[in-house]
Amino acid sequence: MKLSAMRTWTMSLFAAVSVIGLAACGNQPAPAPKAESQTPAQASAAASTTSSAPKVEGTLSFYTSQPDTDAAALIEGFTKKYPDVKVELFRSGTEEVVSRLQAEAKAGQVKADVLLVADAPTFASLKKQDLLLPYSSPEAADIPAEWKDADGAYTGTKVMATVLAVNTSKVKTLPDSWKALTSPEAAGKAIMPSPLYSGAAAYNVGVMTRQADFGWDYIQGLKKNEMTVIKGNGAVLKSVAGGEKDYGMIVDYLVARAKAEGSPVEMVYPGEGVPVITEPIGILKASQHQEAAKAFVDFVLSEDGQKLAASLGYTPIRKGVAAPEGLKSIDQIKVMSADTGELEAAREADKKKFGEMMGGK
Amino acid sequence: MASNWQTVWTERQADQGRRWAAPVTLEKATTWLVLLPVAFFFVYPLWKLLTLSVETETGLGWAHFSEVLADARTWDAVSHTIVAAGASTAIAVLLGVTLAWLCAYTDLRGKGAIHLLALLPLLIPSYVMTLAWTQMAGPQGVWNRAASWLAGTPMEVWNVYGLDGIVVVMGLTHYPLVYMLTLSVLYRVPKELEWAARSSGARAGDVFRKVTLPLALPGIASGGLLAFISGLDNFGIPAFLGIPENISVLSTLIYEQVTGFGPSAFSRAAVLSILLGVIALAGTGLQWLLLRKSRVDQTSAADKSVRVPLGGRRWAVEAAVWLFLVVTSVLPLLSMAQTAFLQAYGLPFVWDNVTGKHFAFVLFDHASTRAAIVNSLMLAGLSGLVCLVAGTWFAQWRLQRPSLAAKAMEGAVSLPYALPGMVLGLAMILTWIQPLPGWQPGLYGTVWLILIAYVVRFFILQVKSSTVSIMQVGREVEEAAKINGARSWTRWRRILLPLYAPGMLTGLFLVFLTAFTELTISSLLWSSGSETIGVVIFSFEQAGSTTLSTALSTLIVAAILSALALGGWLKRYWQRRLEG
Repeated sequence: MKLSAMRTWTMSLFAAVSVIGLAACGNQPAPAPKAESQTPAQASAAASTTSSAPKVEGTLSFYTSQPDTDAAALIEGFTKKYPDVKVELFRSGTEEVVSRLQAEAKAGQVKADVLLVADAPTFASLKKQDLLLPYSSPEAADIPAEWKDADGAYTGTKVMATVLAVNTSKVKTLPDSWKALTSPEAAGKAIMPSPLYSGAAAYNVGVMTRQADFGWDYIQGLKKNEMTVIKGNGAVLKSVAGGEKDYGMIVDYLVARAKAEGSPVEMVYPGEGVPVITEPIGILKASQHQEAAKAFVDFVLSEDGQKLAASLGYTPIRKGVAAPEGLKSIDQIKVMSADTGELEAAREADKKKFGEMMGGK
Repeated sequence: MASNWQTVWTERQADQGRRWAAPVTLEKATTWLVLLPVAFFFVYPLWKLLTLSVETETGLGWAHFSEVLADARTWDAVSHTIVAAGASTAIAVLLGVTLAWLCAYTDLRGKGAIHLLALLPLLIPSYVMTLAWTQMAGPQGVWNRAASWLAGTPMEVWNVYGLDGIVVVMGLTHYPLVYMLTLSVLYRVPKELEWAARSSGARAGDVFRKVTLPLALPGIASGGLLAFISGLDNFGIPAFLGIPENISVLSTLIYEQVTGFGPSAFSRAAVLSILLGVIALAGTGLQWLLLRKSRVDQTSAADKSVRVPLGGRRWAVEAAVWLFLVVTSVLPLLSMAQTAFLQAYGLPFVWDNVTGKHFAFVLFDHASTRAAIVNSLMLAGLSGLVCLVAGTWFAQWRLQRPSLAAKAMEGAVSLPYALPGMVLGLAMILTWIQPLPGWQPGLYGTVWLILIAYVVRFFILQVKSSTVSIMQVGREVEEAAKINGARSWTRWRRILLPLYAPGMLTGLFLVFLTAFTELTISSLLWSSGSETIGVVIFSFEQAGSTTLSTALSTLIVAAILSALALGGWLKRYWQRRLEG
């Protein structure tokens, strides 16, 4: 094909595209269909959760870092219960979502009503900036105190442990300790997400370095053992599942999913315990739709909401709701934890120290 | 030694001094007509962001500057950025010019296919490109394993991680920009000049160096500048290849600062953005210096005849070109497609593990894919159209006024392309929620803000492409038309437009393609109903569904390539009908 031919083609392609485009503009996506008629059961369910509160309606702007299929399922579950609320979604990585929120705050117009992203220290930082509305959901009673903010600024919604992933076609005996990563067998063969780019990874480093028998010595050991550091959890999964590395430090549900699909990976909950992030949910102080926002938070923390989370492949945070197959439930997991306030305050310093320590080949 | 061809050349050079006479008032009016939109759409958002750099908790001050500038990591990142963008540009120029010259001048066969493959690196997401390279040249990659096997002992020939890998992969990703912008210029270098030089005794190398190169310089320098500022903004390649070696460039450092979330995070990012902007402007200045010395007006029509038969060397050259294209374009694409066909990521590629289910899922079961394709087509089409008209007009206006203000404005429109997408996206949010106190146009959260962001970001691609064509058309043409009484619209339609068309369409093509697969800005600005293809791919990636993201990417690349091939075939068919 000649260049001139290609250009002519580009021109016609372009003309076609503009036509399609303009047609599309006239065809704005219709608002989420409202339930035509409520069944008596639905109506009574809605009535029972909202009790004496006025009917919840309006538009709710929901910012989240959950995968889009999960977010869609959550919204669907919620609007089934509250058909008069229209939920508008913005989803991206935690880093992008929080940056957008911060930019909105700088511009003086926070558009988000409800926020659900990776970890508690991120919320602690937003709370410090006075962006969150204190709200103690009645549904939060069944959630352990360590997973929710004392003032109700945010509450955990699920339990996501960081575990050890192993490539089963390369490694025959599964390890049972984090120390496997500093052992000679793992030299040059392990990978972890960078705390400089991922909030969840920063949380893990913060927690691990605050354990008596880990500390910064452990990080030093990882460095000595030629641990590879890469941008995110997804990249770690790729590297371990693809066989480029044998061991990875990674969030549990990614491994469980990949394993279920048939990737040659296995996950291990090391004996020392695992750092856990809780994907907290919170309401923005600037929210114009606080009733709807509260109803949304209630739904996520309710038994139905937690069952929904479990059906999507996550460990629920509410006591008494079973974990999905392949994952441990909250009372089976040995948790490695640290004080949220301290983690939030020390995060920048931790990241800097990590960068300096892992740097300089 | 003042030979004939040199005289011809100097005469033509003298023509450039002629200024276009226009009524002063009209000129002033058009200056404002350009200045105001540039200031509002391009400079104002950046200024909004930059004011953050001097905002401290206690008022205005330089605290963030001193903090950031005192950090050794900043200067490491600055030097890595200059090395990465500079060296990768050198590679891109070398490859781009060589390939363009071969395609324009020689009797190489299969030019249509070569042209298509040369465009691929612009279409393949850079994370796929990088992933393919880590599989080929990583420590455990094919090359190093083969070398170890040959040597009988573990050895490492070359490892793609690190600064050298960033330079190589970036150069290979950006050479199509130079290639595209150089190709049309080369077609229009007048044969007679080269012949004149030859008959005056210049050797082939001298002809290229002294005649072809200076005449093609507008294209080469513009393409080089685009490659350079693309290198400044690139995040995917240094994020993948640099982080494991603890090498930061400004774009990754800015991302790191922005996502540090603290109250001063944006301020530190803004300071770093200023540094990036200074480097980008230095690049623009360098390009301007280059062009100032060699600007030559030409009015030659495109000439696609073979000028340099390769003769007996044709086979060797063809083999080299194809080897190059296979390694840089076909292999990454194949590695992407291979992943998409796998049952699950990480399984060996054997028949039992092959499935088409991921393609079926993204096409038929995933609701937002189709909406995203329509949105992306619409956004890319409209951005292309707006840039085509406004960018060409800007280029024409800019070339007629070598004033300092015009140069500054050119720098200003190139900045949004050099800044990381994340920074530009944030600047757009800061600006467009409330552009003027009390005025909320309601664009934030709609697809229209993405459109504005695309136009602002990709504008320079069109400006540079149009500039290349305009610079090659002498003023004499327009003046002749004027003397003969052609009105301005007639002048445009009958004379200038046909001559400018190749460059304008190159620009349209670049804007359309880059906007169609854009990722960062839309992932920051989209909201329900305005998802783009980039947003969907990004979501799949983040959910760990590499098989789905590669399936969608493969479909997009395949669709674009078949659209281009079909278009070429239709055109040929049509011509045959006309001729027959």
